[in-house]
Amino acid sequence: MSHTDPEILALRALGETAGTARDAEHAASCALCQAELARLTAVVRLARDADPAEILQAPPPPVWDRIAAATGVSVPLNVAAPNGPVLNGPVLNGSALNGSALNGSALNGSGTLAKAPAVPETPAFPEDSRGFRSAHRRAARPRRLAGALATLAAGLVIGIGGTIGVAQVVKSPPTHVVARIELSPLPQFPQWQGSTGTAVMRSTASQQELVVTLRAPARPGFYEVWLLARDGVSMISLGDLSAGHTGTFIMPPGVDLRDYSRIDVSLQPFNGSTQHSKDSVVRGSLPVTALGGAATIRS
Amino acid sequence: MYFSFVLIGQLTDEDVAAALSGGQPDALALVYERFGPLVYSIALRSLGARPDAEDVTQQVFVSAWRSRDRFDRARGTLAGWLVTITRNKVADALRSRQRDSRVLLQVTGGASVTAPEAPADQVVDRIVLADELAQLPESQRLVMVLAFYSDMTHEQIARVLGLPLGTVKSHIRRGLQRLRSRLEANGVAH
Repeated sequence: MSHTDPEILALRALGETAGTARDAEHAASCALCQAELARLTAVVRLARDADPAEILQAPPPPVWDRIAAATGVSVPLNVAAPNGPVLNGPVLNGSALNGSALNGSALNGSGTLAKAPAVPETPAFPEDSRGFRSAHRRAARPRRLAGALATLAAGLVIGIGGTIGVAQVVKSPPTHVVARIELSPLPQFPQWQGSTGTAVMRSTASQQELVVTLRAPARPGFYEVWLLARDGVSMISLGDLSAGHTGTFIMPPGVDLRDYSRIDVSLQPFNGSTQHSKDSVVRGSLPVTALGGAATIRS
Repeated sequence: MYFSFVLIGQLTDEDVAAALSGGQPDALALVYERFGPLVYSIALRSLGARPDAEDVTQQVFVSAWRSRDRFDRARGTLAGWLVTITRNKVADALRSRQRDSRVLLQVTGGASVTAPEAPADQVVDRIVLADELAQLPESQRLVMVLAFYSDMTHEQIARVLGLPLGTVKSHIRRGLQRLRSRLEANGVAH
């Protein structure tokens, strides 16, 4: 008798009841098929224990500088590496990028996510949430999905005829993503460890916009987005990051982003001061080559 | 409604490995760009502290560069080789941390010190898996993410993505097998 179809084994590893009764009968009695199923199930279990949205983190930029200094390799990183965070092509808009679009009606339309019970807030720290996760695995999954997709969205090539293409997906004029970077806390601000953010620089025919998403705990005060100059002193306030912790900011015309390439989010007290509070939550640098003009946007 | 989202100039892991073996001058930058998050994430999850993880990441790439002649593409993947170096550097960092705390305890008259743990296989595996998931071709990656994290069946995924059922089933089978091979290539038994 032939072995169980590998596609059926794969689906069973995911927990689906796939295949015929005969398949099930064979799989139950065949050591080879059972071993294969066990291996695939182990992969599925591992994947579901992991969280792609939280687990892969890029080292902060100074690490490369130190490596380059120690080895005498002097290649600037994002010149050498064509798979940097430089993207092109018409893109999904900000709400799709931060994953919220995927909580939208298209997925609920499948009937599966919609019936999931109310989802408790997923803790920001995977280390702290292991027990929570395993206890609430099924309830927590839709939210993890949004996170996973948000992370993976940066590399997606989707030619979907519209079904997942939730309402939010671009109808507006063509927008190009110039760069997408992760924002992370600085080591000297341990109180913000675990906070994360993303910044997407996009360009339309008329302007450049920065879409900033912040994941940080609610604190008294408000979050504010800044551009920092290379001199470490000059800064430009872009505006407040409101309750939802996502904001779209139009870049002030005439600002040289090759100089003001760092993005900083601060927590500001309600004290009327327009100065940076020196309480930096997360920070990141736009790749300078991506800001130099169309020539660096590879196609 | 249609949108596309293209990551340009994506090199395969084999391209990066070939660049390193061939002594290409920008190879280290390529290797770092591709595997920096993998190495840093393993170090961070194993050591907890960001400064320590940054030190280990630096050590791994400096060491990989200096001993690049010892990397043999016939014997294994570049990812597996880097993970091995990372495990060793993490173990070194834990040993040195233990020495530091012993000294501290001698000074303060404290009691026993718990032995440092090597980076747990589970930690390494989960990060390797996330890394490989991120390397999958885009449409396949979306299928896998939905299959793992959404509670949707493959029929529902096909409907939501507007893909033929056979394509979704094939993505799932190949995706799972590719993830499994990657884990096995890292020398972790399953």
